[in-house]
Amino acid sequence: MSGADFVGILPLAILAAAAVLVLLVLSVYRSHLLTCILTLLSLAAAAASLPVAASVGPRGVTILLISDGYALFYTGIILAATFSVTVLSYIFLRSRPGRREELYLLLLLAALGAAVLVFSSHFASLFLGLELLSSSLFVLIAYPRGILNVEAGIKYLILASVSTAFLLFGMSLVYAQLGTMEFARIAAAGRGAGGAILIAGLGLLAVGLAFKLALVPFHMWAPDIYQGAPAPVTAFVASVSKVGAFGVLLRFFRLAGVQGHGHLFLMFTLIAIASMFGGNLLALLQGNVRRLLAYSSISHLGYLLVAFLASGALSVTAVTFYLLAYTATIVAAFGVAVLVEGNGAAGAIADYRGLFWRRPWTAVVMAGALFSLAGIPLTAGFIGKFYLIGAGAGSSLWLLVLALVISSGIGVYYYLRLIVIMYLRPEQTAPETAPAPWSGSLILGALFLAILWLGVYPAPWIDMIQRNALLK
Amino acid sequence: MAQVPMDYGLVLAAALFVLGLAGVIVRRNIIFILLSIEIMVNASGLAFIVAGSRWRQPDGQLMFIFILTMAAVEVSLGLALVLRLYHRLKTLDIDRADRMRG
Repeated sequence: MSGADFVGILPLAILAAAAVLVLLVLSVYRSHLLTCILTLLSLAAAAASLPVAASVGPRGVTILLISDGYALFYTGIILAATFSVTVLSYIFLRSRPGRREELYLLLLLAALGAAVLVFSSHFASLFLGLELLSSSLFVLIAYPRGILNVEAGIKYLILASVSTAFLLFGMSLVYAQLGTMEFARIAAAGRGAGGAILIAGLGLLAVGLAFKLALVPFHMWAPDIYQGAPAPVTAFVASVSKVGAFGVLLRFFRLAGVQGHGHLFLMFTLIAIASMFGGNLLALLQGNVRRLLAYSSISHLGYLLVAFLASGALSVTAVTFYLLAYTATIVAAFGVAVLVEGNGAAGAIADYRGLFWRRPWTAVVMAGALFSLAGIPLTAGFIGKFYLIGAGAGSSLWLLVLALVISSGIGVYYYLRLIVIMYLRPEQTAPETAPAPWSGSLILGALFLAILWLGVYPAPWIDMIQRNALLK
Repeated sequence: MAQVPMDYGLVLAAALFVLGLAGVIVRRNIIFILLSIEIMVNASGLAFIVAGSRWRQPDGQLMFIFILTMAAVEVSLGLALVLRLYHRLKTLDIDRADRMRG
Protein backbone atom coordinates (compact mmCIF):
# COMPACT_ATOMS: atom_id res chain seq x y z
CA MET A 1 0.00 0.00 0.00
CA SER A 2 1.31 3.40 -0.94
CA GLY A 3 0.76 6.70 0.85
CA ALA A 4 -1.96 7.65 -1.60
CA ASP A 5 -3.81 4.44 -0.72
CA PHE A 6 -3.92 5.50 2.91
CA VAL A 7 -5.20 8.93 1.90
CA GLY A 8 -7.92 7.22 -0.14
CA ILE A 9 -9.32 5.48 2.93
CA LEU A 10 -8.70 8.38 5.31
CA PRO A 11 -12.39 8.65 6.36
CA LEU A 12 -12.40 4.99 7.42
CA ALA A 13 -9.11 5.42 9.27
CA ILE A 14 -10.40 8.46 11.14
CA LEU A 15 -13.58 6.64 12.19
CA ALA A 16 -11.61 3.62 13.38
CA ALA A 17 -9.14 5.79 15.28
CA ALA A 18 -12.02 7.76 16.80
CA ALA A 19 -13.60 4.55 18.12
CA VAL A 20 -10.32 3.59 19.81
CA LEU A 21 -9.88 7.11 21.15
CA VAL A 22 -13.37 7.20 22.67
CA LEU A 23 -12.75 3.79 24.23
CA LEU A 24 -9.49 4.98 25.82
CA VAL A 25 -11.00 8.22 27.05
CA LEU A 26 -13.87 6.26 28.60
CA SER A 27 -11.46 4.11 30.56
CA VAL A 28 -9.92 7.13 32.30
CA TYR A 29 -12.64 9.75 32.39
CA ARG A 30 -16.37 9.25 32.08
CA SER A 31 -18.34 12.25 30.98
CA HIS A 32 -21.49 12.14 28.91
CA LEU A 33 -21.03 15.56 27.34
CA LEU A 34 -17.32 15.07 26.61
CA THR A 35 -17.91 11.70 24.92
CA CYS A 36 -20.67 13.19 22.81
CA ILE A 37 -18.52 16.15 21.74
CA LEU A 38 -15.59 13.86 20.98
CA THR A 39 -17.84 11.73 18.78
CA LEU A 40 -19.22 14.76 16.96
CA LEU A 41 -15.70 16.14 16.38
CA SER A 42 -14.43 12.85 14.96
CA LEU A 43 -17.45 12.57 12.65
CA ALA A 44 -16.76 16.13 11.47
CA ALA A 45 -13.08 15.28 10.97
CA ALA A 46 -14.03 12.21 8.92
CA ALA A 47 -16.37 14.38 6.83
CA ALA A 48 -13.61 16.96 6.34
CA SER A 49 -11.32 14.22 5.07
CA LEU A 50 -13.73 13.28 2.26
CA PRO A 51 -12.41 15.93 -0.22
CA VAL A 52 -8.85 14.96 0.69
CA ALA A 53 -9.63 11.32 -0.07
CA ALA A 54 -11.34 12.36 -3.31
CA SER A 55 -8.19 14.17 -4.43
CA VAL A 56 -6.27 10.93 -4.94
CA GLY A 57 -8.85 9.92 -7.51
CA PRO A 58 -10.75 6.66 -7.85
CA ARG A 59 -8.37 3.94 -6.82
CA GLY A 60 -8.55 0.42 -5.51
CA VAL A 61 -6.98 0.19 -2.07
CA THR A 62 -5.72 -3.42 -2.04
CA ILE A 63 -8.31 -5.71 -3.58
CA LEU A 64 -10.64 -5.24 -0.61
CA LEU A 65 -11.65 -1.58 -0.80
CA ILE A 66 -12.25 0.91 -3.55
CA SER A 67 -12.11 4.62 -2.89
CA ASP A 68 -14.13 6.44 -5.56
CA GLY A 69 -16.57 9.33 -5.70
CA TYR A 70 -19.49 6.97 -5.19
CA ALA A 71 -18.08 5.53 -1.96
CA LEU A 72 -17.12 8.97 -0.67
CA PHE A 73 -20.53 10.48 -1.42
CA TYR A 74 -22.33 7.65 0.37
CA THR A 75 -19.90 7.97 3.27
CA GLY A 76 -20.84 11.64 3.40
CA ILE A 77 -24.51 10.72 3.78
CA ILE A 78 -23.61 8.17 6.47
CA LEU A 79 -21.51 10.68 8.41
CA ALA A 80 -24.15 13.40 8.25
CA ALA A 81 -26.85 11.00 9.44
CA THR A 82 -24.64 9.66 12.24
CA PHE A 83 -23.88 13.25 13.29
CA SER A 84 -27.60 13.98 13.64
CA VAL A 85 -28.22 10.68 15.45
CA THR A 86 -25.41 11.47 17.90
CA VAL A 87 -27.00 14.79 18.85
CA LEU A 88 -30.39 13.11 19.18
CA SER A 89 -28.83 10.39 21.37
CA TYR A 90 -27.45 13.06 23.67
CA ILE A 91 -30.93 14.51 24.10
CA PHE A 92 -32.41 11.06 24.57
CA LEU A 93 -29.88 9.91 27.18
CA ARG A 94 -29.68 13.20 29.12
CA SER A 95 -32.57 12.36 31.38
CA ARG A 96 -31.82 8.65 31.68
CA PRO A 97 -29.68 7.20 34.45
CA GLY A 98 -27.04 4.51 34.07
CA ARG A 99 -24.05 4.11 31.82
CA ARG A 100 -24.62 6.16 28.72
CA GLU A 101 -21.23 6.81 27.16
CA GLU A 102 -20.75 3.49 25.35
CA LEU A 103 -23.62 4.29 23.03
CA TYR A 104 -21.42 6.81 21.20
CA LEU A 105 -18.64 4.29 20.82
CA LEU A 106 -21.08 1.84 19.26
CA LEU A 107 -22.48 4.54 16.98
CA LEU A 108 -18.96 5.25 15.69
CA LEU A 109 -18.34 1.54 15.08
CA ALA A 110 -21.65 1.09 13.31
CA ALA A 111 -20.95 4.11 11.11
CA LEU A 112 -17.53 2.64 10.32
CA GLY A 113 -19.21 -0.64 9.34
CA ALA A 114 -21.63 1.15 7.01
CA ALA A 115 -18.76 3.12 5.45
CA VAL A 116 -16.72 -0.05 4.91
CA LEU A 117 -19.77 -1.50 3.14
CA VAL A 118 -19.93 1.29 0.57
CA PHE A 119 -16.14 1.15 0.10
CA SER A 120 -16.07 -2.61 -0.35
CA SER A 121 -15.07 -4.26 -3.60
CA HIS A 122 -14.58 -7.78 -2.29
CA PHE A 123 -16.78 -10.31 -0.44
CA ALA A 124 -14.49 -10.26 2.60
CA SER A 125 -14.81 -6.51 3.12
CA LEU A 126 -18.55 -6.65 2.42
CA PHE A 127 -18.90 -9.31 5.11
CA LEU A 128 -16.72 -7.48 7.64
CA GLY A 129 -18.49 -4.17 7.09
CA LEU A 130 -21.90 -5.77 7.43
CA GLU A 131 -20.92 -7.58 10.62
CA LEU A 132 -19.38 -4.48 12.16
CA LEU A 133 -22.64 -2.68 11.45
CA SER A 134 -24.98 -5.43 12.69
CA SER A 135 -23.01 -6.40 15.80
CA SER A 136 -22.99 -2.78 16.95
CA LEU A 137 -26.70 -2.57 16.24
CA PHE A 138 -27.53 -5.64 18.40
CA VAL A 139 -26.20 -3.76 21.40
CA LEU A 140 -27.49 -0.34 20.37
CA ILE A 141 -31.04 -1.64 20.01
CA ALA A 142 -31.00 -3.24 23.44
CA TYR A 143 -29.07 -0.36 24.97
CA PRO A 144 -31.45 1.07 27.60
CA ARG A 145 -32.08 -2.53 28.69
CA GLY A 146 -35.82 -2.21 29.11
CA ILE A 147 -37.83 -5.33 28.34
CA LEU A 148 -38.92 -4.00 24.93
CA ASN A 149 -35.35 -3.04 24.04
CA VAL A 150 -33.97 -6.47 24.95
CA GLU A 151 -36.79 -8.20 23.09
CA ALA A 152 -36.13 -6.09 20.00
CA GLY A 153 -32.37 -6.69 20.35
CA ILE A 154 -32.81 -10.47 20.44
CA LYS A 155 -35.18 -10.45 17.49
CA TYR A 156 -32.74 -8.38 15.48
CA LEU A 157 -29.85 -10.61 16.51
CA ILE A 158 -31.61 -13.79 15.40
CA LEU A 159 -32.88 -12.45 12.11
CA ALA A 160 -29.69 -10.57 11.25
CA SER A 161 -27.61 -13.67 11.98
CA VAL A 162 -29.85 -15.82 9.81
CA SER A 163 -29.60 -13.27 7.02
CA THR A 164 -25.81 -13.20 7.39
CA ALA A 165 -25.79 -16.97 7.05
CA PHE A 166 -27.79 -16.65 3.81
CA LEU A 167 -25.40 -14.01 2.56
CA LEU A 168 -22.36 -16.14 3.40
CA PHE A 169 -23.79 -19.23 1.77
CA GLY A 170 -24.58 -17.22 -1.35
CA MET A 171 -21.04 -15.83 -1.41
CA SER A 172 -19.52 -19.29 -1.04
CA LEU A 173 -21.60 -20.62 -3.95
CA VAL A 174 -20.53 -17.72 -6.17
CA TYR A 175 -16.92 -18.28 -5.14
CA ALA A 176 -17.21 -22.01 -5.81
CA GLN A 177 -18.38 -21.29 -9.35
CA LEU A 178 -16.16 -18.37 -10.32
CA GLY A 179 -13.04 -18.75 -8.20
CA THR A 180 -12.86 -15.11 -7.23
CA MET A 181 -14.41 -12.87 -4.62
CA GLU A 182 -13.58 -9.50 -6.17
CA PHE A 183 -16.65 -7.70 -7.51
CA ALA A 184 -15.00 -6.63 -10.77
CA ARG A 185 -13.67 -10.10 -11.56
CA ILE A 186 -16.96 -11.74 -10.58
CA ALA A 187 -18.64 -9.43 -13.08
CA ALA A 188 -16.18 -10.39 -15.80
CA ALA A 189 -16.26 -14.13 -15.05
CA GLY A 190 -20.01 -14.27 -14.52
CA ARG A 191 -20.93 -12.45 -17.73
CA GLY A 192 -21.29 -15.56 -19.85
CA ALA A 193 -21.77 -18.13 -17.11
CA GLY A 194 -25.32 -18.95 -16.11
CA GLY A 195 -25.08 -22.12 -14.07
CA ALA A 196 -27.82 -22.96 -11.59
CA ILE A 197 -25.38 -22.82 -8.67
CA LEU A 198 -24.20 -19.35 -9.65
CA ILE A 199 -27.76 -18.06 -9.92
CA ALA A 200 -28.60 -19.68 -6.58
CA GLY A 201 -25.54 -18.04 -5.03
CA LEU A 202 -26.40 -14.59 -6.32
CA GLY A 203 -30.00 -15.13 -5.23
CA LEU A 204 -29.01 -16.08 -1.67
CA LEU A 205 -26.68 -13.11 -1.56
CA ALA A 206 -29.54 -10.87 -2.60
CA VAL A 207 -31.79 -12.45 0.06
CA GLY A 208 -29.16 -11.71 2.70
CA LEU A 209 -29.05 -8.05 1.72
CA ALA A 210 -32.84 -7.87 1.33
CA PHE A 211 -33.12 -8.90 5.00
CA LYS A 212 -30.96 -5.96 6.03
CA LEU A 213 -33.06 -3.65 3.86
CA ALA A 214 -36.31 -5.11 5.27
CA LEU A 215 -37.82 -5.86 1.88
CA VAL A 216 -40.98 -8.03 1.70
CA PRO A 217 -40.94 -11.02 2.37
CA PHE A 218 -37.91 -10.48 4.61
CA HIS A 219 -39.40 -7.53 6.50
CA MET A 220 -40.82 -9.22 9.63
CA TRP A 221 -38.24 -7.71 11.96
CA ALA A 222 -38.64 -4.08 10.94
CA PRO A 223 -41.78 -3.03 12.86
CA ASP A 224 -40.65 -4.67 16.12
CA ILE A 225 -37.17 -3.15 15.91
CA TYR A 226 -38.49 0.29 15.02
CA GLN A 227 -40.83 0.13 17.98
CA GLY A 228 -38.54 -1.53 20.50
CA ALA A 229 -35.27 0.30 19.86
CA PRO A 230 -34.58 3.67 21.48
CA ALA A 231 -35.70 6.45 19.11
CA PRO A 232 -32.24 7.72 18.05
CA VAL A 233 -31.13 4.15 17.32
CA THR A 234 -34.26 3.64 15.25
CA ALA A 235 -33.27 6.72 13.25
CA PHE A 236 -29.87 5.09 12.75
CA VAL A 237 -31.34 1.73 11.67
CA ALA A 238 -33.71 3.48 9.29
CA SER A 239 -31.04 5.67 7.68
CA VAL A 240 -27.40 4.64 8.01
CA SER A 241 -27.81 0.88 7.86
CA LYS A 242 -30.12 1.19 4.83
CA VAL A 243 -27.71 3.54 3.03
CA GLY A 244 -24.79 1.19 3.67
CA ALA A 245 -26.60 -1.96 2.58
CA PHE A 246 -28.18 -0.34 -0.49
CA GLY A 247 -24.86 1.23 -1.44
CA VAL A 248 -23.15 -2.14 -1.64
CA LEU A 249 -26.19 -3.84 -3.22
CA LEU A 250 -26.15 -1.27 -6.01
CA ARG A 251 -22.39 -1.46 -6.51
CA PHE A 252 -22.29 -5.24 -6.63
CA PHE A 253 -25.30 -5.87 -8.84
CA ARG A 254 -24.47 -2.97 -11.14
CA LEU A 255 -21.13 -4.62 -11.79
CA ALA A 256 -22.50 -8.14 -11.97
CA GLY A 257 -25.41 -6.96 -14.14
CA VAL A 258 -28.84 -7.94 -12.81
CA GLN A 259 -30.26 -7.52 -16.29
CA GLY A 260 -28.00 -10.29 -17.55
CA HIS A 261 -29.59 -12.83 -15.19
CA GLY A 262 -33.28 -13.13 -16.02
CA HIS A 263 -34.15 -15.05 -12.84
CA LEU A 264 -32.55 -12.46 -10.61
CA PHE A 265 -34.28 -9.65 -12.45
CA LEU A 266 -37.61 -11.39 -11.96
CA MET A 267 -36.88 -12.00 -8.27
CA PHE A 268 -36.03 -8.35 -7.64
CA THR A 269 -39.12 -7.25 -9.57
CA LEU A 270 -41.37 -9.42 -7.40
CA ILE A 271 -39.64 -8.24 -4.22
CA ALA A 272 -40.05 -4.61 -5.32
CA ILE A 273 -43.77 -4.94 -6.04
CA ALA A 274 -44.41 -6.94 -2.86
CA SER A 275 -42.51 -4.36 -0.78
CA MET A 276 -44.31 -1.37 -2.28
CA PHE A 277 -47.78 -2.81 -1.79
CA GLY A 278 -47.06 -4.80 1.37
CA GLY A 279 -45.46 -1.84 3.12
CA ASN A 280 -48.13 0.66 2.18
CA LEU A 281 -51.13 -1.60 2.81
CA LEU A 282 -49.89 -2.83 6.19
CA ALA A 283 -49.04 0.74 7.20
CA LEU A 284 -52.74 1.56 6.81
CA LEU A 285 -53.53 -0.79 9.69
CA GLN A 286 -51.03 0.62 12.19
CA GLY A 287 -52.08 2.48 15.30
CA ASN A 288 -48.52 3.21 16.36
CA VAL A 289 -46.40 5.91 14.77
CA ARG A 290 -43.16 3.92 14.96
CA ARG A 291 -44.70 0.85 13.33
CA LEU A 292 -46.30 3.05 10.70
CA LEU A 293 -42.89 4.52 9.83
CA ALA A 294 -41.42 0.99 9.76
CA TYR A 295 -43.94 -0.18 7.17
CA SER A 296 -43.49 3.05 5.27
CA SER A 297 -39.73 2.42 5.16
CA ILE A 298 -40.39 -1.03 3.72
CA SER A 299 -42.35 0.55 0.88
CA HIS A 300 -39.67 3.22 0.33
CA LEU A 301 -37.01 0.57 -0.11
CA GLY A 302 -39.37 -1.03 -2.63
CA TYR A 303 -39.51 2.26 -4.54
CA LEU A 304 -35.72 2.35 -4.56
CA LEU A 305 -35.62 -1.07 -6.23
CA VAL A 306 -37.45 0.42 -9.25
CA ALA A 307 -34.46 2.63 -10.03
CA PHE A 308 -32.08 -0.15 -9.00
CA LEU A 309 -33.58 -2.40 -11.67
CA ALA A 310 -33.50 0.32 -14.31
CA SER A 311 -30.46 0.51 -16.52
CA GLY A 312 -28.73 3.61 -17.77
CA ALA A 313 -26.97 6.52 -16.13
CA LEU A 314 -30.10 7.97 -14.54
CA SER A 315 -30.59 4.87 -12.41
CA VAL A 316 -27.64 5.42 -10.05
CA THR A 317 -28.39 9.15 -9.82
CA ALA A 318 -31.99 8.40 -8.91
CA VAL A 319 -31.06 5.85 -6.23
CA THR A 320 -28.43 8.09 -4.67
CA PHE A 321 -30.64 11.14 -4.63
CA TYR A 322 -33.55 9.19 -3.17
CA LEU A 323 -31.36 7.73 -0.44
CA LEU A 324 -30.12 11.23 0.39
CA ALA A 325 -33.65 12.63 0.50
CA TYR A 326 -34.97 9.65 2.46
CA THR A 327 -32.17 9.85 5.01
CA ALA A 328 -32.79 13.54 5.73
CA THR A 329 -36.53 12.85 5.99
CA ILE A 330 -36.50 9.79 8.21
CA VAL A 331 -33.89 11.18 10.60
CA ALA A 332 -36.07 14.31 10.93
CA ALA A 333 -39.13 12.15 11.65
CA PHE A 334 -37.38 10.12 14.35
CA GLY A 335 -35.76 13.28 15.68
CA VAL A 336 -39.28 14.51 16.36
CA ALA A 337 -39.98 11.16 18.03
CA VAL A 338 -36.99 11.69 20.36
CA LEU A 339 -38.33 15.10 21.43
CA VAL A 340 -41.99 14.20 21.59
CA GLU A 341 -42.33 10.72 22.99
CA GLY A 342 -42.95 10.60 26.69
CA ASN A 343 -42.26 7.75 29.03
CA GLY A 344 -45.28 5.80 27.78
CA ALA A 345 -45.29 3.25 25.00
CA ALA A 346 -42.88 4.06 22.20
CA GLY A 347 -44.63 5.58 19.23
CA ALA A 348 -48.02 5.88 20.92
CA ILE A 349 -50.31 8.04 18.87
CA ALA A 350 -51.35 9.96 22.00
CA ASP A 351 -47.94 11.63 22.07
CA TYR A 352 -48.63 13.16 18.68
CA ARG A 353 -52.26 14.16 19.13
CA GLY A 354 -52.56 17.93 19.13
CA LEU A 355 -48.81 18.33 18.80
CA PHE A 356 -49.27 21.47 16.74
CA TRP A 357 -50.95 23.27 19.63
CA ARG A 358 -48.32 22.27 22.13
CA ARG A 359 -45.16 22.53 20.03
CA PRO A 360 -45.88 24.23 16.74
CA TRP A 361 -42.34 24.14 15.35
CA THR A 362 -41.77 20.47 16.10
CA ALA A 363 -45.11 19.70 14.48
CA VAL A 364 -44.12 21.68 11.39
CA VAL A 365 -40.90 19.65 11.06
CA MET A 366 -42.87 16.41 11.44
CA ALA A 367 -45.40 17.59 8.86
CA GLY A 368 -42.54 18.46 6.49
CA ALA A 369 -41.03 15.00 6.96
CA LEU A 370 -44.39 13.29 6.40
CA PHE A 371 -45.05 15.38 3.27
CA SER A 372 -41.63 14.39 2.01
CA LEU A 373 -42.33 10.70 2.70
CA ALA A 374 -45.63 11.03 0.86
CA GLY A 375 -43.88 12.74 -2.06
CA ILE A 376 -45.72 16.06 -2.00
CA PRO A 377 -44.13 18.76 -4.21
CA LEU A 378 -41.64 21.24 -2.69
CA THR A 379 -40.18 18.50 -0.50
CA ALA A 380 -37.21 16.21 -1.07
CA GLY A 381 -39.41 13.15 -1.44
CA PHE A 382 -41.16 14.59 -4.48
CA ILE A 383 -37.98 15.19 -6.47
CA GLY A 384 -36.69 11.80 -5.34
CA LYS A 385 -39.80 10.01 -6.55
CA PHE A 386 -39.72 12.03 -9.75
CA TYR A 387 -36.23 10.71 -10.48
CA LEU A 388 -37.21 7.13 -9.56
CA ILE A 389 -40.13 7.23 -11.99
CA GLY A 390 -37.90 8.87 -14.59
CA ALA A 391 -35.33 6.09 -14.24
CA GLY A 392 -37.99 3.37 -14.36
CA ALA A 393 -39.75 4.88 -17.38
CA GLY A 394 -36.41 5.39 -19.14
CA SER A 395 -35.89 1.63 -19.05
CA SER A 396 -39.53 0.86 -19.91
CA LEU A 397 -40.22 -0.86 -16.59
CA TRP A 398 -43.88 0.07 -16.87
CA LEU A 399 -45.20 -2.53 -14.44
CA LEU A 400 -42.87 -1.33 -11.70
CA VAL A 401 -43.58 2.34 -12.40
CA LEU A 402 -47.31 1.65 -12.26
CA ALA A 403 -46.92 -0.18 -8.94
CA LEU A 404 -44.89 2.74 -7.59
CA VAL A 405 -47.51 5.30 -8.57
CA ILE A 406 -50.49 3.31 -7.25
CA SER A 407 -48.87 2.26 -3.98
CA SER A 408 -47.56 5.72 -3.17
CA GLY A 409 -51.09 6.96 -3.79
CA ILE A 410 -52.22 4.57 -1.05
CA GLY A 411 -49.37 5.83 1.13
CA VAL A 412 -50.52 9.45 1.02
CA TYR A 413 -53.59 8.47 3.04
CA TYR A 414 -51.82 7.38 6.21
CA TYR A 415 -49.26 10.18 6.13
CA LEU A 416 -52.04 12.74 5.87
CA ARG A 417 -54.01 10.99 8.60
CA LEU A 418 -51.06 11.40 10.94
CA ILE A 419 -50.78 15.07 10.02
CA VAL A 420 -54.49 15.53 10.76
CA ILE A 421 -53.97 13.89 14.17
CA MET A 422 -51.20 16.38 14.93
CA TYR A 423 -53.54 19.27 14.23
CA LEU A 424 -56.46 18.00 16.30
CA ARG A 425 -57.27 19.93 19.44
CA PRO A 426 -55.41 18.26 22.33
CA GLU A 427 -57.37 16.31 24.91
CA GLN A 428 -57.51 17.43 28.49
CA THR A 429 -55.12 14.69 29.53
CA ALA A 430 -52.49 15.60 26.96
CA PRO A 431 -49.03 14.67 28.22
CA GLU A 432 -46.97 17.56 29.54
CA THR A 433 -44.04 18.37 27.33
CA ALA A 434 -40.89 20.17 28.30
CA PRO A 435 -39.53 22.72 25.82
CA ALA A 436 -37.24 21.25 23.20
CA PRO A 437 -33.51 21.61 23.95
CA TRP A 438 -31.69 24.01 21.63
CA SER A 439 -29.44 21.30 20.20
CA GLY A 440 -32.49 19.32 19.15
CA SER A 441 -34.14 22.38 17.61
CA LEU A 442 -30.94 23.11 15.71
CA ILE A 443 -30.66 19.60 14.24
CA LEU A 444 -34.36 19.41 13.39
CA GLY A 445 -34.22 22.88 11.82
CA ALA A 446 -31.22 21.88 9.71
CA LEU A 447 -32.91 18.66 8.58
CA PHE A 448 -36.10 20.56 7.77
CA LEU A 449 -34.16 23.05 5.66
CA ALA A 450 -32.36 20.18 3.95
CA ILE A 451 -35.70 18.58 3.05
CA LEU A 452 -36.91 21.88 1.58
CA TRP A 453 -33.63 22.61 -0.20
CA LEU A 454 -33.56 19.16 -1.81
CA GLY A 455 -37.17 19.68 -2.85
CA VAL A 456 -36.98 23.24 -4.16
CA TYR A 457 -33.50 23.57 -5.62
CA PRO A 458 -31.97 20.09 -6.04
CA ALA A 459 -29.72 21.07 -8.98
CA PRO A 460 -26.43 21.41 -7.05
CA TRP A 461 -27.03 18.05 -5.35
CA ILE A 462 -27.94 16.30 -8.58
CA ASP A 463 -24.83 17.80 -10.12
CA MET A 464 -22.68 16.53 -7.29
CA ILE A 465 -24.25 13.07 -7.45
CA GLN A 466 -23.67 12.85 -11.19
CA ARG A 467 -20.02 13.83 -10.77
CA ASN A 468 -19.70 11.04 -8.22
CA ALA A 469 -21.65 8.43 -10.14
CA LEU A 470 -20.72 4.79 -9.96
CA LEU A 471 -18.06 3.95 -12.52
CA LYS A 472 -18.44 0.67 -14.33
CA MET B 1 -4.46 -38.39 -2.98
CA ALA B 2 -7.86 -38.59 -4.56
CA GLN B 3 -9.87 -35.41 -4.34
CA VAL B 4 -13.39 -35.44 -3.00
CA PRO B 5 -15.53 -33.91 -5.79
CA MET B 6 -16.56 -30.37 -4.99
CA ASP B 7 -20.24 -31.03 -5.50
CA TYR B 8 -20.27 -33.54 -2.62
CA GLY B 9 -18.90 -30.90 -0.30
CA LEU B 10 -21.42 -28.33 -1.45
CA VAL B 11 -24.31 -30.77 -1.05
CA LEU B 12 -23.17 -31.56 2.50
CA ALA B 13 -22.91 -27.85 3.26
CA ALA B 14 -26.36 -27.21 1.79
CA ALA B 15 -27.84 -30.06 3.85
CA LEU B 16 -26.32 -28.64 7.04
CA PHE B 17 -27.54 -25.18 6.11
CA VAL B 18 -31.11 -26.39 5.63
CA LEU B 19 -30.96 -28.36 8.91
CA GLY B 20 -29.89 -25.21 10.69
CA LEU B 21 -32.61 -23.14 9.05
CA ALA B 22 -35.21 -25.74 10.00
CA GLY B 23 -33.94 -25.57 13.56
CA VAL B 24 -34.31 -21.79 13.67
CA ILE B 25 -37.89 -22.06 12.43
CA VAL B 26 -39.03 -25.03 14.52
CA ARG B 27 -37.25 -24.53 17.84
CA ARG B 28 -38.79 -22.26 20.47
CA ASN B 29 -35.93 -22.21 22.95
CA ILE B 30 -33.59 -19.28 22.33
CA ILE B 31 -30.46 -21.27 23.15
CA PHE B 32 -31.39 -23.86 20.52
CA ILE B 33 -32.15 -21.11 18.01
CA LEU B 34 -28.67 -19.68 18.56
CA LEU B 35 -27.23 -23.18 18.12
CA SER B 36 -29.12 -23.62 14.86
CA ILE B 37 -27.82 -20.30 13.60
CA GLU B 38 -24.33 -21.50 14.44
CA ILE B 39 -24.94 -24.58 12.27
CA MET B 40 -26.08 -22.40 9.35
CA VAL B 41 -23.08 -20.12 9.63
CA ASN B 42 -20.65 -23.02 9.88
CA ALA B 43 -22.29 -24.71 6.89
CA SER B 44 -21.41 -21.57 4.92
CA GLY B 45 -17.88 -21.81 6.28
CA LEU B 46 -17.63 -25.41 5.10
CA ALA B 47 -18.83 -24.35 1.65
CA PHE B 48 -16.11 -21.69 1.56
CA ILE B 49 -13.42 -24.24 2.40
CA VAL B 50 -14.72 -26.64 -0.25
CA ALA B 51 -14.76 -23.82 -2.81
CA GLY B 52 -11.27 -22.69 -1.79
CA SER B 53 -9.89 -26.20 -2.23
CA ARG B 54 -11.45 -26.42 -5.69
CA TRP B 55 -9.53 -23.32 -6.83
CA ARG B 56 -6.46 -24.19 -4.73
CA GLN B 57 -6.59 -20.78 -3.08
CA PRO B 58 -6.26 -19.87 0.59
CA ASP B 59 -9.17 -17.40 0.29
CA GLY B 60 -11.78 -19.95 1.34
CA GLN B 61 -10.00 -20.78 4.58
CA LEU B 62 -9.41 -17.09 5.16
CA MET B 63 -13.12 -16.44 4.96
CA PHE B 64 -13.68 -19.30 7.39
CA ILE B 65 -11.48 -17.58 9.96
CA PHE B 66 -13.53 -14.40 9.53
CA ILE B 67 -16.70 -16.46 9.91
CA LEU B 68 -15.45 -18.08 13.11
CA THR B 69 -14.69 -14.67 14.56
CA MET B 70 -18.09 -13.35 13.58
CA ALA B 71 -19.83 -16.40 15.04
CA ALA B 72 -18.02 -15.87 18.33
CA VAL B 73 -19.14 -12.23 18.42
CA GLU B 74 -22.72 -13.18 17.65
CA VAL B 75 -22.87 -15.90 20.29
CA SER B 76 -21.37 -13.73 23.01
CA LEU B 77 -23.74 -10.86 22.30
CA GLY B 78 -26.61 -13.30 21.89
CA LEU B 79 -25.98 -14.97 25.25
CA ALA B 80 -25.65 -11.59 26.97
CA LEU B 81 -29.05 -10.58 25.62
CA VAL B 82 -30.52 -13.98 26.51
CA LEU B 83 -29.38 -13.50 30.12
CA ARG B 84 -31.11 -10.12 30.18
CA LEU B 85 -34.29 -11.57 28.73
CA TYR B 86 -34.24 -14.46 31.19
CA HIS B 87 -33.97 -12.03 34.09
CA ARG B 88 -37.12 -10.32 32.90
CA LEU B 89 -39.23 -13.21 31.64
CA LYS B 90 -37.95 -16.21 33.66
CA THR B 91 -38.19 -18.32 30.53
CA LEU B 92 -36.19 -19.01 27.38
CA ASP B 93 -39.28 -19.49 25.22
CA ILE B 94 -39.04 -17.03 22.34
CA ASP B 95 -42.81 -17.03 21.88
CA ARG B 96 -43.17 -15.32 25.22
CA ALA B 97 -41.21 -12.37 23.87
CA ASP B 98 -44.27 -10.97 22.15
CA ARG B 99 -44.89 -7.54 23.65
CA MET B 100 -44.95 -5.90 20.24
CA ARG B 101 -47.65 -6.69 17.72
CA GLY B 102 -49.29 -5.30 14.67
